[in-house]
Amino acid sequence: MGVMDGILEGAKVAFSFHGILFVLMGVFLGTIIGMLPGLGPITAIGVMIPISYGMDANMALVMMAGIYYGAIFGGSTSSILLNAPGVAGTVATAFDGYPMAQQGKAGKALAIAAVSSFIGGTVGVILLMLFAPLLATVAISFGPPEYFALMLLALTAIASLSEGSTIKALISGTLGFMVAMIGIDGQTGTSRFTFGSASLLSGIDFLVIALGIFALAEVFKLIITRNDIDSGPNKNIGSIRITKSELKEMSGPASRQSVLGFLIGVLPGAGATIASFIAYITEKKIAKKPEEFGKGSIKGLTAPETANNAATSGAFVPLLSLGIPGSGTTAVLLGALMVMGIQPGPMLFTEKPDLFWGVIISMYIGNIFLLVLNLPLIPYISKLLNIPRPMLISLVTIFCLIGVYGISFNTFDLYLLLAFGIIGYLLRLVSFPAAPFILAFILGEMIEQSVRKSMTISNGSFMIFLERPITLAFLIITVLSLALPPLLGMRKKIKSIE
Amino acid sequence: MLSSQNKKVSLFLIVLGVVFVIMSVRLPEYPLVPVDADAIPIILGCLLIFLSILLFFIKDEPKDSEDSEQSEPFFNADRKMLFLFGGFILLYIVLLEWLGFLITTALFIFTSTFALGYKKHVTNIIVAIAIPIVFYYLFNYVLKISLPKGILPF
Repeated sequence: MGVMDGILEGAKVAFSFHGILFVLMGVFLGTIIGMLPGLGPITAIGVMIPISYGMDANMALVMMAGIYYGAIFGGSTSSILLNAPGVAGTVATAFDGYPMAQQGKAGKALAIAAVSSFIGGTVGVILLMLFAPLLATVAISFGPPEYFALMLLALTAIASLSEGSTIKALISGTLGFMVAMIGIDGQTGTSRFTFGSASLLSGIDFLVIALGIFALAEVFKLIITRNDIDSGPNKNIGSIRITKSELKEMSGPASRQSVLGFLIGVLPGAGATIASFIAYITEKKIAKKPEEFGKGSIKGLTAPETANNAATSGAFVPLLSLGIPGSGTTAVLLGALMVMGIQPGPMLFTEKPDLFWGVIISMYIGNIFLLVLNLPLIPYISKLLNIPRPMLISLVTIFCLIGVYGISFNTFDLYLLLAFGIIGYLLRLVSFPAAPFILAFILGEMIEQSVRKSMTISNGSFMIFLERPITLAFLIITVLSLALPPLLGMRKKIKSIE
Repeated sequence: MLSSQNKKVSLFLIVLGVVFVIMSVRLPEYPLVPVDADAIPIILGCLLIFLSILLFFIKDEPKDSEDSEQSEPFFNADRKMLFLFGGFILLYIVLLEWLGFLITTALFIFTSTFALGYKKHVTNIIVAIAIPIVFYYLFNYVLKISLPKGILPF
């Protein structure tokens, strides 16, 4: 079947009544959860997994994807209105969005953010349509050694690109990998680290990790900060009209950053957060009046908002065409898909074109819905920011508990959830990033299996990883991504001494 | 010697890594595969030890204001609240299958929202009763995931 037929199949899925209904549901929920400070897309997707049981896989994927980009879209609202980013990807949005809101132009800021997000999201999806099949065609020839090297690259990239210390990120990843080792080994049947518990034989469910390390840990953090942010935005947000000259000012950063943001999103390890910061910095560097940045500049608001949404589309490239997530959020998305029995990857492109293209085409519809939701309706939706924190904390906790109980009907998993919530909170307390943990947990078993399959193919020789050009290239990039930053840092130090 | 946070965390992780390696080495052998079940865990344990040793020699980042209050007692108001909330969750898990979803959840929402400082008690009661009923209906009848009914007859 050709690509055109696949796109048509996908369009049938996306434009069906259910397709439209579920993408609307996804982006709506994503907007709301993304908007609430402290709760990010990972929590949003995790909480929705139990709801999606028994749903048609196509529709579940369409909805989950909608939640993801909807959350990034919605996160900008609280960045602008409260100066409290709803999600990490919209931190840079507050730099110019919040000053604008303080000048009484909150409505305008929200409108600019919505239009920029729409442009970034839509351009991102167009590029996704071009890139994903291309990559899938290449990836179809990948064997276990290539996958091993690629996953290793994804892990080290997220560690070296994440905020703060690389060592801490690597430790976080190692810990996640270790937790993935719990349970019966698929190849030999050895039960590992189960301490004789029958409940641990099948390993720890990824939902326990996702909801514990992310959602519950975020709830614990909210308990500490619940009194810091005064809840509720100002009543009057002002006009949401954008003038022609303002649109003209937006056009430059929007067109540049939608492409740049997408490319950053495709890279393993870098996502919406990094894309938005890079966009903000580059636009500030090339701007004619950089002094306006940080004081309510239209360009300064457009750049990160375009880039973070474009990056979200970009993140779907490795997820859909390789089956390898490049970020914490896409890792949870992958976990959610596997719960539903879908294994993303190059085979998805050839064997389930309706699913592959269905989700991509639904993103066009989703972005249009988001524009509508975020423009005229935003004054009403932003009222949800008035939910009192204590109530929010209790309700999200209940969501986590019931979500986990709904998959296992076993209170043992609930105790595990609480334990991982505490671990996740402690990790944050000592500033260890949580994203490498979840990525390593989800990739861990796949990495182990791919190493062992490779070694079985090669009869126990390590040469298999060095003889294949693609594998070797990935491994070299992996080593460079770890070794270069410290070496460059040392050179800087030596120079500064001289 | 253990003044810095990184050093404390590092030592804890080194101990964890050593225990993990010992446990991995003691896994039963399976001779028919080139890479046995213990190989990757041993590598991971050693990696953790190696990274933790590196961490030991890294200076702490400048602390945020929230961590810097060294003189404050260990059980400050926030920590107390965290422990209390953790206790509520624990209690919820213990009671869930016995009292049933509806009662336990209603109790949990009301008490924890109250404990976290929400003052409008009537709203709290309405939410604490309405939300469990909506969830229960949604899960049991729409999604066909049966939540524990406990001591209630429905």
